[in-house]
Amino acid sequence: MIDYSRYTLDNGLKVLVHEDRSTPLVAMNILYYVGSKDEGPGSTGLAHLFEHLMFGGTARIPDFDRHLLLAGGENNAFTNTDITDYYITLPSENIETAFWLESDRMNLLDFSQRNLDIQKNVVIEEFYQRYLNQPYGDAMLLLRPLVYKIHPYRWPAIGMDISHIRNADQEKVMGFFFSHYAPNNSILTLTGNITCGRGISLAEKWFGKIEKRAVRPKTVPSEPVQTEARMLTVEREVPADALYMAWHTGPRTSDDFYTLDLLTDILSGGESGRLHTKLVRQKKLFSEINAYVTSDVDPGLIILHGKLMKDVDIRHAEESVNKVIDTLKRSCPPPLEMEKVRNRYESSNVFANTNILNKAMNLAFYELIGNPDLINDEVDIYKKIDSMMVTEAARKYLDPSNCSILYYKSARRK
Amino acid sequence: MNIIFPPKPQVVPVNPGKIRNPARVLLNNGTPVYMIEAGTEDIMRIDFTFDAGEAQEYLPLLASTTNMMLTEGSRNYSSQELNKILDFHGAFYNLYAEKDRAGLIIFFITRHIEKILELAGEIVFRPLFPGTELKALMKKRLRWYLVNREKVNNLAMEHFFKSIFGNHHPYGRQIVPEDFENMNPPLLKDFHAANYTPEKLAIIISGKIHGRTLDLLNGHFGENFASDVYIEESHNLLKASENRRTHIKKPGAVQTAVRIGCPAINKCHPDYPGLKILNVILGGYFNSRLMKNIREDKGLTYGIHSMVSSLILSGFNIISTEVSKKSTQKAIDEIYSEIRRLQSEPVEKEELTIVRNYMLGEMVRMFDGPFALAESFRSAWEFGLDTSYYDTLIKKIRTITPDEITALAGTYYNIEKLHEITAG
Repeated sequence: MIDYSRYTLDNGLKVLVHEDRSTPLVAMNILYYVGSKDEGPGSTGLAHLFEHLMFGGTARIPDFDRHLLLAGGENNAFTNTDITDYYITLPSENIETAFWLESDRMNLLDFSQRNLDIQKNVVIEEFYQRYLNQPYGDAMLLLRPLVYKIHPYRWPAIGMDISHIRNADQEKVMGFFFSHYAPNNSILTLTGNITCGRGISLAEKWFGKIEKRAVRPKTVPSEPVQTEARMLTVEREVPADALYMAWHTGPRTSDDFYTLDLLTDILSGGESGRLHTKLVRQKKLFSEINAYVTSDVDPGLIILHGKLMKDVDIRHAEESVNKVIDTLKRSCPPPLEMEKVRNRYESSNVFANTNILNKAMNLAFYELIGNPDLINDEVDIYKKIDSMMVTEAARKYLDPSNCSILYYKSARRK
Repeated sequence: MNIIFPPKPQVVPVNPGKIRNPARVLLNNGTPVYMIEAGTEDIMRIDFTFDAGEAQEYLPLLASTTNMMLTEGSRNYSSQELNKILDFHGAFYNLYAEKDRAGLIIFFITRHIEKILELAGEIVFRPLFPGTELKALMKKRLRWYLVNREKVNNLAMEHFFKSIFGNHHPYGRQIVPEDFENMNPPLLKDFHAANYTPEKLAIIISGKIHGRTLDLLNGHFGENFASDVYIEESHNLLKASENRRTHIKKPGAVQTAVRIGCPAINKCHPDYPGLKILNVILGGYFNSRLMKNIREDKGLTYGIHSMVSSLILSGFNIISTEVSKKSTQKAIDEIYSEIRRLQSEPVEKEELTIVRNYMLGEMVRMFDGPFALAESFRSAWEFGLDTSYYDTLIKKIRTITPDEITALAGTYYNIEKLHEITAG
């Protein structure tokens, strides 16, 4: 059971504190509700580039890292399609240093041209290193625009194209700050060796004076319903063919999310998952295969991807995946299999919540989607999912007309 | 915007405290068990760690293949049954074969201990190494290998080990596609019989430890003794390559992977704590000199890191980065210039204070929670040390002088002896 207190400051900043006395550390997480879905199609990658700029210092504290390190702290951040998330862990005696630094950069960032130029280069190198110079690294860059035609989930957080990052200028960046970085657009969570009372009073002391800002309302267009199968084939210099499939689902907050999470675990969780057992072990069609449901705020996806063994025809591989899925649509999973995936969820949940930083990130995300109690309540939601619900969800979502398929083929002679 | 913030808070010096040595108990056959009771949740982690890593193998892939085949069927359970039961109990496991050690780490909810230990005994002591499963595994591994060979950082890393340790020692040996055809069940059975023995096993337990743990361990791990004595003779020679510079061509790559380093001391050497500190300054944290210069000042890379690593027979220093093709030489020149600066100019007090505090904060994180404690213990224990190693390290972090650092940089980053590998 994760006990927490929740409080909203006058400027709209939401604060959640969970005390865990078993550690000498405190984790501080600040979630800003801004991600790549808040970008325009002509200037993608801006939210993530901005995350880099947040470490460039302010007029008052030009060297963020130095002060945090002196306090024995460690920090990092990530940006995805929905959110930008900054986190720190440090010994609890020095928690005020984290408040001092985070409130300062929420208040006002320094936008030097030099810092912008350098971080643009760093992000371009990141684009190369993680997406373009890796085998299969561009697969999601190809799959997203196939699946989404209108919704900004059609580009990844790194951006649609390197030129967008090259073209980011100071004006765009400053505009981005004032329309998205605001106490009334963020969630502060503290977990670890700190009492709820102290957490909330420190939040008031350090963040209380920052004024509410006019946050740009979200005008994200909703994705039209897909009505027929979509297909894309590419050839790349890779050693093996790979198959990617994606189906539209509902948002993270829909009840079906939990059912689909168990459904994908039946398909590919652990060594005993159906896809692995049938297609990797028995039929030896794939060297690896995986399926999962995305945790997106707006309607998300089930994504399945696998790499093929030598000389396997990719259409045959796809048909074999479909057969496994059809079995799930035809007959309900047996009770023992249902119990297995529920146990796996319960166990992974217990393990995840042994870490204060995980707890801080999860609390913030649950607050964002409207219900922090979910951090404790989801276990019971999963317990209530039965095999009929899984089969119904398979029929509803894993329909060929709702599916986008990417054949990522090896251009080389095998 | 002109709001008045409270003044800068005082910073309290970081104190990682002391970690105790875990309780040590011997099973009936002499296998040592280390117990770290910690944490708030009813979960456990058990590391069954054997002296069965790559250093013990006489053929490439033998140690890792033997390890990966442990869950492919045992005397009393098929592979499918093993995995089904483990998944059913929500247990997670990692099989690992490192350069020195190999084994099984298993995470589970404490109340399932009985079944988990029975299966763990089957996995580590009674595997069958069935031929069909082995063939399938080797085909899969060849596919993974071919994909990995497309990554410039893997190419550079492999060649780096070959360059500093030589192709005749498992530490430096390179894998070729033909190696995947050489594995067969009798080879694996021999390697298993010689290396997965109670004499080569230690069990490290952490978490909320079940009251019956020792009884159960004695039942599954405490009764068997090695069936034979294996005389070990080492034909393996560590020998660095004469040619310290290699470029591996990778057509079409848009970035070049760079690895620069050399063989070095390991944890048992008295200079090691000081070398750790030197490494942090050079490239061991986000604010390091390499990061500041090559990423934050010049924007040449997404990341650059340096590391000192301990192996039983040696250790090594390594600097790694990926940079645009056109900036490769510039980045390499800057790396050498940062090393020279450390060898010639004493580190400023301010920078050293930052490094001291960062490292002490890291140690608090290394001692936080049952699993972190288990890992910290293992990484000292495997070198014959105990947790007093960390007391020595903490003391060195607090007392090292700029002159000591300059001297260490001269000794352990001798530019004449550094190997430089690039792939791209």
